[in-house]
Amino acid sequence: MHSQQNLQEVIAKAFGITPNDITDELEYQSIPEWDSVSHLVLVTELESAYSITIEMEDVLTMGSVAKIKELLKKYNVETMA
Amino acid sequence: MILSVAEGRHAVELITSINHDQMLLYDLIQKNRELKFIDAQTGNTVPIQAFHQSLRIDNRQGLVFLYNDNLIGSVEVLLNFLNSRFTLVLLSAQLHPSFKQDLEELYTPYYIYDASRAAIDAYNTATVSATIKLFRREKPVEYLIHSNIKMLLSTSGTTGSPKFVKLSDEHLVQNALSILDYMPIKNDDVVPLNVPIVFVYGLSIFTTNCMAAGTIVCTDKDILQPAFWTDFTQYHCSTIGGVPYVYEMLHRIGFFKKEHPSLRYMTQTGGILNQALRNEIVKYSAAYNKQFFAQYGQTEAAGRMAYLPQEDLLTKAASIGKPIKNGRFEIDAETSELIYYGPNVFGGYANSTANLSTWHATDTLYTGDVAQQDEDGYYYITGRIKRIIKLFGTRLNLDEVELILKNALGGQTVVCTGINDKYLLVSHVNDQLQEDAVKQVLKEKLNIHPASVQVKYIPSMPLTPNGKIDYSTIMQTA
Repeated sequence: MHSQQNLQEVIAKAFGITPNDITDELEYQSIPEWDSVSHLVLVTELESAYSITIEMEDVLTMGSVAKIKELLKKYNVETMA
Repeated sequence: MILSVAEGRHAVELITSINHDQMLLYDLIQKNRELKFIDAQTGNTVPIQAFHQSLRIDNRQGLVFLYNDNLIGSVEVLLNFLNSRFTLVLLSAQLHPSFKQDLEELYTPYYIYDASRAAIDAYNTATVSATIKLFRREKPVEYLIHSNIKMLLSTSGTTGSPKFVKLSDEHLVQNALSILDYMPIKNDDVVPLNVPIVFVYGLSIFTTNCMAAGTIVCTDKDILQPAFWTDFTQYHCSTIGGVPYVYEMLHRIGFFKKEHPSLRYMTQTGGILNQALRNEIVKYSAAYNKQFFAQYGQTEAAGRMAYLPQEDLLTKAASIGKPIKNGRFEIDAETSELIYYGPNVFGGYANSTANLSTWHATDTLYTGDVAQQDEDGYYYITGRIKRIIKLFGTRLNLDEVELILKNALGGQTVVCTGINDKYLLVSHVNDQLQEDAVKQVLKEKLNIHPASVQVKYIPSMPLTPNGKIDYSTIMQTA
């Protein structure tokens, strides 16, 4: 198990928005801040926050916050609600 | 001419059989009688004939603002207005609402197509077909538009600048024909519209393939969405295009690890790919017998000016290649600026409706790029004269960014420069100014990611002897 950094904060940092705006329902391209550029920033931020290497194919599956949580389980990362 | 029935015919064969010099872009597209459009949202297929005069629009001169989202509705609107006396203004559907409003107040377009808005002040809703709704100005404003101006393209795309490039129908045709001379487009090709057509590169992909390919897939999905790849596989897409950043993303998602059997060729523009990625693409192309075309262009050239053939990708790696058919380059002896000559050079800029009555006919374009030519005749871009950077492939005019920041920050002195097309550096002389405030404005107005912005306080602004901001000193100390 890896060190627990709050997922909301990691995502918020990647998108440059406040953690309060991050909900499970939030989807890729549903806000201007979550575009292709920030998506790859997010991948990098997640990798460094949880010391994981996200597989190429998995980059495509991160279409919503809920799906990101799902994916992180696969990498043995427990995220706080 | 005998053509193979089994295989798709090449564009050049098709086009050379047409006396194209007098033909309009719209007629050249309609002449491609087998052309179909797929609506990726519904899976519906629509033949090109179905879009012929499919919208009830007025027969007059005027501007139409098309806020494009690359979906089939935008394509239908675009084709209908190409076949009209109107002048098309292509804008991004994602443009900040306040920029949309400013541009509409300045240019008072007769029609507006914007699928994202329910109503617009001073405009009535005009239902022009069962599926398409336009906004029509309640009290049309009359002004003269030169009959050559068929299209206005933004020089920036995202800054909401009122500066547009004036293009004629002939410019668009000439550019498309020059591209068809080297691009291996076949009449059974399936082409995804993954590059927005508000960018001249996306527009070139659209026009050339409408003239010579078989199927256009209209989609607002991008390459980081699984739905895009489902469509790509399901419709057997033949090609994909993008700026260097898109190729970096393709690399990140493992695109070059798989064959993608339907893919025949890739196109790229908007800067030089990094060496590692170039090697990866060369390796991929060789392994799976794909083609790759690096290109060089500008909105002011209605599209392309040069391309680098596949076989030169490794040996002439950082080159923009050689000029397209009917174009040629010169390098200014004094400044080393690259000068392009060709039939696709624009007819001047417009900053307001007053500039729409004039047309500046020329075949000469000062590109703003500094270039060198090698002994084999290949051209290399070595710098830029104009104050323009490209962040993630999007062209940003630094003077416009400065103006937006100054306006938003209450008239403070801010100076914008670029760092290797990777970062936007904002220098300022106010030690009270918060870094986050600057980043917030850039994110809000221009959707520039905070991670690609650097904010730097400097005690005093370096000036040149005649009192102008000394950009070169600022860049050297960055």
